Amino acid sequence: MTAPRPYALLAEITYRCPLHCPYCSNPVAASLCEAPRRPPGGGYSNGELTTEEWKRVIRGAAALGVLQIGFSGGEPLARRDLVELIGCAHETNVYTNLITSGIGLDDDRLHALCDAGLDSIQLSFQSDEPNLADEIAGARAHERKLDVAAKIRAARIPLSLNLVIHRRNIDRLPQMIDLAETLEAERIELANVQFYGWAFLNRAALLPTRDQVARAREVAMAAKARLAGKMDIFYVLPDYYETRPKPCLNGWGQRYLTVNPVGDVLPCPTASSAIPDLRFENVRTRELDWIWRESESFNRFRGTEWMPEPCQSCPQREIDFGGCRCQAALLTGNAANTDPVCTLSPKRTVVDAFLSHTNLSSDHRTDWTYRVNPRRLAI
Amino acid sequence: MRATTISDSARPILAKGVRLQIDSTTSKGVLLYPEGIVELNETAHQILSRCDGRTLGEIVCELAEEYEGDSNALATDVRDTLCDLERRKLIEFK
Repeated sequence: MTAPRPYALLAEITYRCPLHCPYCSNPVAASLCEAPRRPPGGGYSNGELTTEEWKRVIRGAAALGVLQIGFSGGEPLARRDLVELIGCAHETNVYTNLITSGIGLDDDRLHALCDAGLDSIQLSFQSDEPNLADEIAGARAHERKLDVAAKIRAARIPLSLNLVIHRRNIDRLPQMIDLAETLEAERIELANVQFYGWAFLNRAALLPTRDQVARAREVAMAAKARLAGKMDIFYVLPDYYETRPKPCLNGWGQRYLTVNPVGDVLPCPTASSAIPDLRFENVRTRELDWIWRESESFNRFRGTEWMPEPCQSCPQREIDFGGCRCQAALLTGNAANTDPVCTLSPKRTVVDAFLSHTNLSSDHRTDWTYRVNPRRLAI
Repeated sequence: MRATTISDSARPILAKGVRLQIDSTTSKGVLLYPEGIVELNETAHQILSRCDGRTLGEIVCELAEEYEGDSNALATDVRDTLCDLERRKLIEFK
């Protein structure tokens, strides 16, 4: 089928990060396996794309029609060439967003990023409560983040806060919204944890109970009404508790693409770890344009022809696109299945069993495995 | 703010962090803002490209000249569009 034009690129420029959040969506294997070898012709010794390679990706994405680039990771500030990459994106007229923990963002760096044309910043917080926030991050980070938020305000760059919501912090939703108000953020994303990467590994410790989710939804909706016109509240639903799947990516290979630190081009950032039988192309060996339009990985789930029943004859198939391919792969072992979050899926029992365990068992797991950094970090 | 209450002397400007540009793929106007994109129809593009300090009255006058339409109906359209954009925090009034 003919490929549409993409709107946004997620540039995951490094997996390195000073935080260790147990819900990180980065692939667990990126940390636990041996890092890729140094590429022929030079480059980062941990396999990361070089500055020039990233610039080629950025220009290629703009030529494909991309209008927005999110610089993410890991922690994108861990790359010393971040300012240069933002500058390159700005030159191509693309809107840039820095998705960051804030750690490493001092005045000099912030001003250099502004001068390079950075358009907006999304800053993560783990909680409003310092001790809990630092416990979740696995690092002393909260106080520094507050300081960084104030710096961003002073620099007059639009600020979004991102808070991942899970069992340990969901009851503090009102206080977390207060934090965003205090920091004068334009936008807050309250994202119920989605189970990929480290979060999938830790899901027994992260999934909130049904009662917690119901309360949180009310808090979020009330805050949305109260703060309308002042601060946008974007509430990401906890999809295990839904009856229909999320319209993941607005359809596979329709609007978004991701390039990971070593140059693999992915329809979705979690696809490389969740769907092991799909082979992804790399910008070192293929042009971005070809990968987007022609590659097997981008075409496998494009459109609706690939869909099995009950999706194929479902009136919702152009609304939710069968849900999330990664979730289908992780929970049913086959990425081409209906997302098992859908109650019409024959595999919904997998989700229900997990929900029952969380809601009925008194034996709640509270321990989690912290994300660790990739090996061989020396650059 | 309700559409009917926007005064002729109000000066709509793009909100902080919002960019108006031409999408080179479609040659149409597009609004870019933190984690969002709005593809504009011709009318919205014509209005937004004048949100640079001009008053609402001036914008309506200019568009009326260009399109030779009923200026009352046009004024209502412009007010409705601006009201919707303000609600989405994409413009603000100076």
